[in-house]
Amino acid sequence: MPLFAAGISHKNAPLALREQLAADEGKVREILRDLVGGGVLREAVILSTCNRVEVYGVADVPGEARAVAFRHLCRQRGVEVTAVEEVLYTHAEDDAIRHAFRVASSLDSMMIGEPQILGQVKDAFALAQGCEAVGPALHTLFTQAFAVAKRVRTETEIARHAVSVSFAAVELAKKIFARLAGRAVLLVGAGKMSELAAKHLVEQGAFPIYVVNRTWARAQEMARALSGTAVPFEELETALAAVDIVITSTGAPAAVVTRDVVARVVRSRGTRPLFFIDIAVPRDVEPGVDALPAVYRYDIDDLKSVVDANIRERLREAQRAEALVEREVAKLRARLGDVEIIPTIVSLRERLEEIRAGEVRKALARLPAASPETRAAIEALSAGIVNKILHAPITKLRESSRAGAHRSWLAVVHELFGLGRRS
Amino acid sequence: MHPYLQNIAIIAYVCAMGLALAHLVQRQAYVHRLAVLATLVGWIAHTLALVVLAIEIGGPPLGTLPNAVSVVVWVVVLLEMLVERQSGVTVLGAFVLPVVVVLSLKSSVARPVTLAPALGNAWIWIHIALALVGIAAFVLNFAGAIMYLLQERQIRHKRPGRFYHRLPPLETLDRWTYRTLALGFPFLTTGLILGAVWARTAWGSVFAFDPLAFFSLVAWLIYAGTLAGRAAGGWHGRRAAYFAIVGFAALVVTLGAGFFLPGRHGA
Repeated sequence: MPLFAAGISHKNAPLALREQLAADEGKVREILRDLVGGGVLREAVILSTCNRVEVYGVADVPGEARAVAFRHLCRQRGVEVTAVEEVLYTHAEDDAIRHAFRVASSLDSMMIGEPQILGQVKDAFALAQGCEAVGPALHTLFTQAFAVAKRVRTETEIARHAVSVSFAAVELAKKIFARLAGRAVLLVGAGKMSELAAKHLVEQGAFPIYVVNRTWARAQEMARALSGTAVPFEELETALAAVDIVITSTGAPAAVVTRDVVARVVRSRGTRPLFFIDIAVPRDVEPGVDALPAVYRYDIDDLKSVVDANIRERLREAQRAEALVEREVAKLRARLGDVEIIPTIVSLRERLEEIRAGEVRKALARLPAASPETRAAIEALSAGIVNKILHAPITKLRESSRAGAHRSWLAVVHELFGLGRRS
Repeated sequence: MHPYLQNIAIIAYVCAMGLALAHLVQRQAYVHRLAVLATLVGWIAHTLALVVLAIEIGGPPLGTLPNAVSVVVWVVVLLEMLVERQSGVTVLGAFVLPVVVVLSLKSSVARPVTLAPALGNAWIWIHIALALVGIAAFVLNFAGAIMYLLQERQIRHKRPGRFYHRLPPLETLDRWTYRTLALGFPFLTTGLILGAVWARTAWGSVFAFDPLAFFSLVAWLIYAGTLAGRAAGGWHGRRAAYFAIVGFAALVVTLGAGFFLPGRHGA
């Protein structure tokens, strides 16, 4: 049952092509029915997101199946087949398993560790199941891919650290204040970026929120959006004394929060930490303030360098994730082999059991006077012979499946025992 | 039997320290599991060693200062394992185990001289036991202070390094040092008072010079000052952490004095 994964992704295909080829649910359903119904593929899952369009399939002739599948996709979406074939990649067998695991674990994503892809893979799988395009092989592959993705998520840190400026700021706040619940936040200036950062803080339980802005109306508008309180600009210093986290984003040409002001504020607030998140350019908070005790100040460049460090961290963690994926690929190869040989083993047993039962019946018909002991002995004898005969071929099948070379042996067993067409 | 088990314990602690430090920079989960395992092995060997010792001498193994310090180490390791398990701060071992190793080595090289013959009164055991629990709490206090300063430095210098994600938040660490201080201080205080009372009844004077008593008074004053500063003066953060380190240094000198200088606590 040759397994393959073929497609285009952000790695090699331009966005324009990905956009063109990406198909919505209805189209995917149609294509899946055509492909599996037409008998080109025995099983198929189509994953279509803005970053990748991929077909996972099981087919007797993978090369042909791949070509048919993408010809279908291209025709549906009105894309030139040649344009797609230039950038189309194909993974077979172990490489296909590895690819599925890496995609689901977000190791193949544009931003490593991004969380959406797993949901998209799950949706694609559910869609294919709905179209009855999923058989035992892809079922095993995908359920395992979900388990691997979960392990990668919990056992490595590829998704743990913030890769956006606003999340990096929230993460820093959490490293200063253990819990953000009940922390007072002051917004100075009412930009979009500061609103986003403030929303993240509010989600973590930060409360209350104060908004200071030169334009009173805008301050009130922003305060409403965040369920906070607008504070007149003149009361900035009072507000500073009361809060824990300050987000500044004014368009002012010079610093709005000076070192002198913060020095006065710090005296009144003791050693409670004060965290400035300054996302304005030019900066709103004088750089000197972080020399004051328990005052921390991060400007946009500082936050960006934190983000860069976090991305490097994700890349390091990704290497550990790759090793984990590699181990899981080996495990699944063995299981998929079992999936393929089990039906043959079952029909082999049934075939021999049929023969044995028939022969025993005949023998007993000729021995009407046989005692129950004799009958039992005949049953045991015949069962013993069948089991002895079955032992060698079954062992051979299991061994060859573990070595990945079971297909020719399956064919031989079918031929020798007359098991009919294998499915 | 006892020295043999004691050595196993020390070797296991040294391994655990190495692994815990490796985990700090290298973050492989299995390194941490090995560190925890080595700590546990060390602690079990240590427990057996103390039990065997207690049977050999027919009483609590607190009669000599090295033995008493060995009990401190035992308490510290137990607390470290419990706290690490409960709080999920997997890097704690990297900060506590070095202290454990230093104390274990120190107690194993010191001459095991029996304490003053006057020991026999139950009060003296209470004096020792209380002082030991106090010291154990201050080992954790010290580890918390070091973690605080490391984390504070990274955040202040805007260069979140390797430890940034793994060390707890500043506020947690600050609360940690406060709690361990508040826990250790009453034990140390009561221990010292009992010691002084005992000294008066046994030797007729509280102030007769004894190096260990002298330095422990210094350490007590530092901790008392820190506690007062925190409770009344609103001290926090770096200042409190620096004091925790100075106080612990005084405690280490105290034990060193007990080990190596002549006085009533040994030699």
